[in-house]
Parts: sequence; C-alpha cells; structure tokens
Amino acid sequence: MTNERFLIESYFVIAALSLILGWTAYVYLWRPFDDFLSSRATKNLRAILRRLFPFGMILPALLGFLSVSYWSCNQDTYEKIVRDRQYLIQKNQEQVSAALFSIAMATLFWDVVLIVVQKYGHPKAEK
Amino acid sequence: MQFVVFVALLVLALVVAIGLFYLLRSSLNGLLRHTVAEPSGITFYERSFLLVLVLLSFSAALGISFDLKPDAHFMEYVWKWAGGLASVLQSAGGVLLAYLVMITVLVAALKIKNDQ
Repeated sequence: MTNERFLIESYFVIAALSLILGWTAYVYLWRPFDDFLSSRATKNLRAILRRLFPFGMILPALLGFLSVSYWSCNQDTYEKIVRDRQYLIQKNQEQVSAALFSIAMATLFWDVVLIVVQKYGHPKAEK
Repeated sequence: MQFVVFVALLVLALVVAIGLFYLLRSSLNGLLRHTVAEPSGITFYERSFLLVLVLLSFSAALGISFDLKPDAHFMEYVWKWAGGLASVLQSAGGVLLAYLVMITVLVAALKIKNDQ
C-alpha cells in the first residue's frame, strides 16, 4: 500500500471511528440521562435537551478529529506529508486522542447541565 | 517492540482508569445518594465518571508518539513507556480534580438533605 493510499484510507477510517466513539458514549449515557430529565425537567426543557444530547456527544468527537492538522513546520507540502509513513500513523494517533479528549470534555459539560437541571429545571419539584 | 510498548501502555491506561473508578465508586455512590437522590441521576454521574476516566486515560496514552528507531536500546523503550505512564497519571489526576470541583458544586448547589 502506498503512503498516499494509506493517508486517504486511514483518514476516513479514523473519522468514522471518531463518530462511532461519540455515538457509543451517547448510547452509554442516554438511558440515565433521559430518565433523569423525565423526572426533573419541564416538558419543553426535556424536549430541547433530548434533541441536543446526541449532537452534544457526537459532534465534539468529530470536532476533535478535525482539529488535528497534517501541516506542520517540517511538513509544509503535501509531498513531505506523504513521504513518511510513521508521521501519518502518528497523526492518526493524535486524531483519535483528540476525539477521545473532546468526548470527555463533552461528558463533563453534560454533567454540569444536569446539575443545573436538578437545581432549576423543574420549579415545582422544589416545593 | 514498539507495538508491544504501545499495547502495554494502552492496557495500563485502562487498568488505571478502571482501578480508580472502583476505588472511588462506593464513596461517590454514597455522596450522590445523599445529594442527587434520583437513581437515574446517580447512574448518569457514575457512568460519566467512568467514561471520562477511560477516555482521558486513552487520550493521554494515544497522544504519545512512538518514533523510536529500529535499533533503539531497551531503556529507550522503557523511557518512552514511562513518559506515557506519566501522561496517563496526569490525565487521571486532572479528572479527579475536575470531579472534586464538580462534586463540591453539586453539594453546595443542591444542599445535603440533612442540612434541610
């Protein structure tokens, strides 16, 4: 397999893997998230958050993947990028690492959202 | 050899994440029962804690570049692995710090039942 072919195939495989990782995290957290909203949030708030949650878990994964650039000081042309297979593998690792990091940050964000929902999401629950 | 070191690092990242989770799980569960009360909320926070631990540990392990030459010495592999281990432990520490802050906010915002 040539380096260029490896670049093309690995890029889209890692992109798909990032989406799958984001989707897996969403599926893992979806049921308790939805149950919690059912008991602690108003109808409208629940509807909004239920629609936002999948995007809020899957999009960060993709964003993490996209944040990694192949261009660098030493690799400033396409020919230099595809010359070194080890460099391409390293970039793939960075892409997965960035996707995982973004999903973790998104999870922390939704943790905070649930704290706010518990406190303010259903005014009647306070009584 | 590089692949072996890479896999060993990933395994260690998983062990650190799961080990920390099981170490803190019962205490976290007790605190969540006290503050959140809602079973689904408790489940969500426990799962998110495990998820963040695992994701950041793997992220740290994958962020290490294995660019050693084929004729590298044994200790060079050990140093590379140790650098990866440091990164994993740093991430785990960051997660614990973030959860400490979040749990503090949770307790302050929701107020422990006994105080009411």
